Amino acid sequence: MIMLGVGDLGATNLPGEVIKTFALGSCVAVVLLDPKTKTVGMVHVALPDSNIDKNIALKRPGYFADTGIPALIDCMTRMGCKRDGKGMIVKLVGGAKVIDPNDTFNIGEQNVLAIKRILWARGMGTLAEDIGGNISRSVSVYADAGRVLISSPGRSDWEI
Amino acid sequence: MGSAKIQAEILEKIHTIPPLSQSASRLMELMAIPNHSVDDITRIVQCDSALTARVLAVVNSIAFSLMEPTTSIARAITYLGDRIVLGIALDFCASSVFDKPLKGYESKRGALWDHDLRVAIASREVARLAKEKIGLDIAFTGGILHDIGKAVLSEFLKDYTKDILDGIDNGTITDYLSAEAAKLGTNHCIVGGEMARVWNLPEPLPEIIRYHHRPDEANKSSRALVYAVHLGDIIAMMAGAGTGADAMQYQLDTKYIDYIDMPPNLLPEVMLRVEKEFKRTRSSLFAKKEGAQ
Repeated sequence: MIMLGVGDLGATNLPGEVIKTFALGSCVAVVLLDPKTKTVGMVHVALPDSNIDKNIALKRPGYFADTGIPALIDCMTRMGCKRDGKGMIVKLVGGAKVIDPNDTFNIGEQNVLAIKRILWARGMGTLAEDIGGNISRSVSVYADAGRVLISSPGRSDWEI
Repeated sequence: MGSAKIQAEILEKIHTIPPLSQSASRLMELMAIPNHSVDDITRIVQCDSALTARVLAVVNSIAFSLMEPTTSIARAITYLGDRIVLGIALDFCASSVFDKPLKGYESKRGALWDHDLRVAIASREVARLAKEKIGLDIAFTGGILHDIGKAVLSEFLKDYTKDILDGIDNGTITDYLSAEAAKLGTNHCIVGGEMARVWNLPEPLPEIIRYHHRPDEANKSSRALVYAVHLGDIIAMMAGAGTGADAMQYQLDTKYIDYIDMPPNLLPEVMLRVEKEFKRTRSSLFAKKEGAQ
């Protein structure tokens, strides 16, 4: 099992392998699935823009949307996927917020928007999303079937 | 079970929680005083042999890479910093509160401590941005203690978690705090406030614990501090460090802006600073556990 913390990224094409990340909060998990090579990858993005701290971005590119997605694609390219990301299935999970009718702290939404802008610039769109709301999610990605399973304390698991 | 009977049982449970050690209480009192000295902290730790052993175990663990092991408690405290020393003292003497799974919140063992530590660090960072000068160390201590009420309330709440989440999802319950009150006639802030009274915690800690989700109801004299911990709690949840089923299920009080100069565009920077400090502090506290083995 590959466990990802905040700002981590990982990919696998080993049958039976699982990639997991816990308690996303306002962070967003970007999941990439390549049906051709049967490679799956995930990055746990915490903030939208790396300009805030270039040192962290160098050490841990997955922390930011603008550095995390290219780094994940690079990682998957080394496993035989296409560098342009074409043909990959994209799923997004997370981006929650606390209860506030004014959406004062909308980091989750900013993360999702930044991620989508980067994906769109590469001609990639999302196939499935489970984003927003007031729940903290954990994600498991199964290499075999490309299943993306979501869990949250006190709730039954669900799949996208 | 009727609400009055449950409340009586909760009250009884509060009085069975072991008291804080004298060292932890005195460290908290001391850290409430601005410009307290390392010598004062050293005196308190030196009088508690078990705590002295723990502090030395931490500082001599591999994480701190000292050239030579130290037996000097003064040097150890200077090296670790008073906040880590307080963290060690609290974790040591109040493990029945911080280090157990919270079934009523679907929370695993250690999650409350992780959450509290992150809230403490975030509260301290937010306190730097207060419009009036407030104590950074007391914000940290308030952050560590803010959720102590959950340790008691958890077992009374354990049969209601699904009901509460369903209620929140379908809009019949506004947030987790209201849900606790609806099911038990009290909430973790009120229970925590009572624990603070029983533990004889110095002001403004009881005020922080009691009002961290309703900071506008706190005494005016400590309101900025309570808002700092309120925001610290929100920041920790956003970073994925909630305590379980209730994560993200609380209201942000936007009136914080009257007390804390933190416009929303500053939030990413604050979150990043908290993340860095959390990693550093947590690895120190983990080093204690490895060193103590």
